Amino acid sequence: MANKKLTLALFSGSVDKLTAAGVILGGAAAEDMDVDIFVLLQAAFAFKKENAMVNDRVSEITDKKDEFLASLKRLNTPHWTEAFRTAKEMTNVKIHICGFAGKVWHGEKPDDFIDLADDICGIGEYMTSAEEADINLFI
Amino acid sequence: MNTEELTALTVDKSVDARGTSCPGPLLAAKKAIGQIEKGQVMEVLSADEGTRRDIPKWCTKKGYEYLGTLEEAGFYKIFLKK
Repeated sequence: MANKKLTLALFSGSVDKLTAAGVILGGAAAEDMDVDIFVLLQAAFAFKKENAMVNDRVSEITDKKDEFLASLKRLNTPHWTEAFRTAKEMTNVKIHICGFAGKVWHGEKPDDFIDLADDICGIGEYMTSAEEADINLFI
Repeated sequence: MNTEELTALTVDKSVDARGTSCPGPLLAAKKAIGQIEKGQVMEVLSADEGTRRDIPKWCTKKGYEYLGTLEEAGFYKIFLKK
């Protein structure tokens, strides 16, 4: 039987939502789902090599940012990049950078982004993949 | 299985995931299940409340047998058979 498929339109470049995406990816990995992630606009900023590990922006409950980030450390929560990497190691996860988003942040080649990125693609590829998915999420 | 039966089980593989939060214990179980043979028993130690619900559902989806959970001081022992 073919694996179930999850597509994720990842728009957010903030660590709170990226961490949540990492948790969901963990669940998908545990169930051997195939995953296609499309990195859109602000998420492409977070995937840039120079930003991934230093970006600590949060998009929700911003007045509690310090408490939130401290709690992630207290709970031994892996950095979102590590959560994504673990999922890639455990199941079939492909990460596609939206070509437009890449250009917005001056990244035109996969090498401009962290090594989790597999390629740069257009929206048509996302639409085709999402049509075939069992679960489609936007974060 | 009841508490006595779970306590008496011979465990072939023990996974201590008490230092991680969701989805850490589930992923630890996923990694470890590949290290045991069909018919062998694994226990997952988790202090994460969600794991006690996740593991039985995961077992059902993946074709493993969920045997039961023991509640210890501050953590759970979750048993399954591959």
